[in-house]
Amino acid sequence: MMPYARYLILLTLALTMLVACEGPVDTTQLIVNTDDCIGCGECVEVCPYNAIEVINGDAVIDPSLCHFCYRCIEQCPEGAIY
Amino acid sequence: MPGRSDILMRNMISCLLLLPLAAMAVTLDGWMNVETGGDSLSPQMGDLEVGGFLQTGDWDILVLEKYASMDTTGIVERVVNTYSRTEIDIAVQAGPVRINPDLVWTSDLGDDKPELVLPVQAGVAYRQGSIRPGLGIEADVSENLRFFARGLYWNRDILQEDGYDLAWTDTRISGGATWDTPWSTSLTLTGTTHNTTSDYIDYDNTWNRYDVSVALHPNILTRNMYFSGDVTFSSYDGRNFLDREIADRLTSRVRLMQMGILPSISVNTTFESVVDFDDGTVRAACASLESRLVWRFLKDRDVPSSVVLSGRLARSSVRTERGGIFSRINIYRGLSLLLEAEARITPTSVAGAGPDRQRYVFGPGLEYQFGNRARIWGIVEQERTDLARNENWWRFRSGLEFYPGSVEF
Repeated sequence: MMPYARYLILLTLALTMLVACEGPVDTTQLIVNTDDCIGCGECVEVCPYNAIEVINGDAVIDPSLCHFCYRCIEQCPEGAIY
Repeated sequence: MPGRSDILMRNMISCLLLLPLAAMAVTLDGWMNVETGGDSLSPQMGDLEVGGFLQTGDWDILVLEKYASMDTTGIVERVVNTYSRTEIDIAVQAGPVRINPDLVWTSDLGDDKPELVLPVQAGVAYRQGSIRPGLGIEADVSENLRFFARGLYWNRDILQEDGYDLAWTDTRISGGATWDTPWSTSLTLTGTTHNTTSDYIDYDNTWNRYDVSVALHPNILTRNMYFSGDVTFSSYDGRNFLDREIADRLTSRVRLMQMGILPSISVNTTFESVVDFDDGTVRAACASLESRLVWRFLKDRDVPSSVVLSGRLARSSVRTERGGIFSRINIYRGLSLLLEAEARITPTSVAGAGPDRQRYVFGPGLEYQFGNRARIWGIVEQERTDLARNENWWRFRSGLEFYPGSVEF
């Protein structure tokens, strides 16, 4: 087997799962990808509901205050909120 | 109202904290980052960050001062504030216990204060700044077991148009334990409680979260493949702005890294899946796939060259997609040619733009690195955004990162 064939198989599997999940999705909270968040705080600045804070270098969204205006998603330079 | 005297006072507090250390043997690291730029929408934008890190045996102190400025012209909403932020982070190690008090002090300095929409339909108010003390304690009970606790308190200056202070405070307390098991996994239990109050608008809301998390540490599979993952179940007790119960959530993430897929090329892929348990209904809340390919070459030069290809697809209640390339190609000594291109789809708050905003950024630039002491760079970008009509604009960004090295005295 080619050295990277296993990787491609796993990648294909993940992609298949993503497509399978692409049905009607609904969310009750936005997600911050802590792997990608750089803690720059731009989301904090644009949030009109005071719902975001940077804690320990990662953006944290308060689920009781977030109104899903999506400004943080649009602003985030790393695309770490979705 | 916070102003220049406020900033002066904060810096004096930082200096007073550092004075007792003058009698000890200390190691000092300092750095400064400046980024500035301008375009047709925002003629002045930039930020300055100055940091210092002092180490004295069992003590260390981090002091950060950041100043950010951005105008608000144009129709595309971006950073809409000028602010100053001071962070002081102290860590003391006493045997197996680590005590970590910190302070974050933010002042909004622009003429137009950021507007906030208040909960319980209490209208709008204007943010002036906040001060946030915190205290963290960690204890390594044994080689494999660690307890931690952290308390944070925000006192926010938020004023209504008539000048009344809303007396807005947030309190967040969390604690838990992590056990590193003998089977390349770790188990973490965490409890968090968060309270927000504002006496002026009679708002008092508390929510609690209990997390159970299992993380699989990086494992080497065959052929230079690394694998790690984590699964977290978060149980919530509290209500959101619609006065509905906050849904419980199961988050799982798998990371795969393949080194040397071809010589000097590595690929890193992350798959994330989130499921919500909302009042008896189980629903797929989000799925995302992210992949990054890095090719490193000309490694024997002063500055190694690299090309990074990255992409992400995420599906939740909104659609976000991102793909891009960033390359640094060394030309001579510390001089490198930069090239970036990025395409993104995100939701937008721009009126009349439709549900999605598509943007494309392209730009070449130059960078010079003076060893590991300093880096100076400039890049010219063109951005095109599809709004009600297409908007195109040029932007120039530049930066200086300076690190003079460690000093012992």
